[in-house]
Amino acid sequence: MNPTIVETVNVVRDVAWLPWAVQYFFLIGLSYGAFVVSLPGIVWRRSGWIGISRVALLVALICGLSAPVALLADLHQPGRSYHFYLHFTPSSWMSWGSFFIPVYVGALMLYAWLAWRPLLAQQALQGGLSPRLAWLCRLLGGSGSQSRGALLVAAALAFVGASLVALYTGMEVMAVRAIPLWHTPLLPLLFVVTALAGGIGLTLLLQRLAGPPSADDTARLSRALALTQGAALVIGVVWLLLGFSGLSPIHAQALAQLAPSAAWKVAGLWAAGSTALTLWLALRHPGSGLLIGLLAVHSAWLMRWTILIGGQQVPKTGAGFYPYQLPLGFDGLLGIVGTAGLWVFLFIAITTLLPLTRLTRKAA
Amino acid sequence: MKIDPISPADLLASSSRRAFLRGIPVVTVGAVSLPAAALAAPSGAHWGMLVDVRKCIGCQACTIACINENDVPEGSFRTIVSTYSVKQNDQAGQPAGTYVLPRLCNHCDNPPCVPVCPVGATFKRADGLVLVDGDRCVGCGYCVLACPYDARFINHQTGKADKCTFCGHRLEAGLLPACVETCVGGARIFGDLNDPKGELRLRMNAASEQLKVLKPELGTKPNVYYIGLDERFQGKVEGQGALWQSKTQGV
Repeated sequence: MNPTIVETVNVVRDVAWLPWAVQYFFLIGLSYGAFVVSLPGIVWRRSGWIGISRVALLVALICGLSAPVALLADLHQPGRSYHFYLHFTPSSWMSWGSFFIPVYVGALMLYAWLAWRPLLAQQALQGGLSPRLAWLCRLLGGSGSQSRGALLVAAALAFVGASLVALYTGMEVMAVRAIPLWHTPLLPLLFVVTALAGGIGLTLLLQRLAGPPSADDTARLSRALALTQGAALVIGVVWLLLGFSGLSPIHAQALAQLAPSAAWKVAGLWAAGSTALTLWLALRHPGSGLLIGLLAVHSAWLMRWTILIGGQQVPKTGAGFYPYQLPLGFDGLLGIVGTAGLWVFLFIAITTLLPLTRLTRKAA
Repeated sequence: MKIDPISPADLLASSSRRAFLRGIPVVTVGAVSLPAAALAAPSGAHWGMLVDVRKCIGCQACTIACINENDVPEGSFRTIVSTYSVKQNDQAGQPAGTYVLPRLCNHCDNPPCVPVCPVGATFKRADGLVLVDGDRCVGCGYCVLACPYDARFINHQTGKADKCTFCGHRLEAGLLPACVETCVGGARIFGDLNDPKGELRLRMNAASEQLKVLKPELGTKPNVYYIGLDERFQGKVEGQGALWQSKTQGV
């Protein structure tokens, strides 16, 4: 028996999670990844990490504030978002997430405010701001004294929130048994590792934006980035081994579904190649901060796009793949551009009060 | 001539299209003498469907009837007859045959779409129907992704999750689902799985050796059963993708 089956009539399902969802997973990942990078300098006061951690905190805050907007926009009934809080459903990871997000973002804002109070006070005095902005800086900075206890409490709360967000975003996708590509315990790990890489990458980019960064700072971040890339490659190899060996039926099923697709092969090679290149550059040329930063951010986004949108293109019952072309409107390109625009707006708003140069200034 | 009236409950339980048509003259006489309450679904009913693939001719009358009955937007489907061209490569000269497979929500007893819903909008009713509370649904699409049968979609007119309801509104009026009523070949048999004397159960018992469900390995316990279901089509079909796509896909 060697039948050849051609599907002549069947339904084509649209993607249910739009590019907005990719933006959410990308931004919230970068946020909690960068939050982790903010800890050594701000909480543990590790020498050499102060400037890095302040910039990382900026990344965490901007991404953390823009991510929920993307998530809200992904709902087809955004006006009903309050239903999440009226009808808590413990069996749903998404329902839990609706509570974890405000915990994380709220704690992150508090943590950032407490960490930046001395800088805001300095900026009010020395920043050469307009009277209104100086007033706002004085208001936010107060006396400029830092409450170490409050900062640690806020950081701990934000850490718990970040951990819960990392957990739920991974589990929410992994819980979908109907999509074998998603239903793997390796996926939450891959989300976390690439989120850390993206957070480090964007920190590297913003550091460069503040001016030529110190070689030590770039080297530190390069080493951290190399660790994440190595971990990502290990996870990828384990995934492939489980799939090819047949030790894990769900991995084998996912591999069997994707292997016939040339597009998936290209995506896999691209992801592996860019990760390996980032690793090599981070180890051999740790000074190439701008390039490895861009590569890391690109990999974090591409991984989420490929898994979330690509996973929805695999029919659950029908043959072949569902076609997908990025729409140019609000449910496609405009969503991506819109979240990028919101990110830029928040970046401008925050750095108007607290310029990057002040964040990276070592003596500050 | 004495006519034994049959109750609407019996009618629902023995409900292939032909049986339904045979019963029309009788129920017409009987219905006028029945109180309205008697039209309600029998208590303890557990609705299910049997699809006899051998009788399906792939005419898509069920697809169209469902669209008309439920105002399904263009490009979306609550039910469809998946159609495949199947060629045996080792039998040279034999033309490819056609295999048809009606698909719809399986109204599973263990539905993966229900626990993932973040607001409890998707639920399973006591009579077996898996439904969406349109007033509560936020259109997050999580249930669409969780359904292993691709039976759900986001309705672009309402912004909510949409799916087959077994025509619950028609059941409440003592009618058959639109797809069953319109099926030309009598391939869809609908009824109460708990009724041992109903046609659904009788047909299922008679064909118990051949009964199959889609993706049984997932443990979803579907309430849509098939006779004549080729195992190559029981899960994800291995073959070339759809040649035909809906108009909204821009093809």
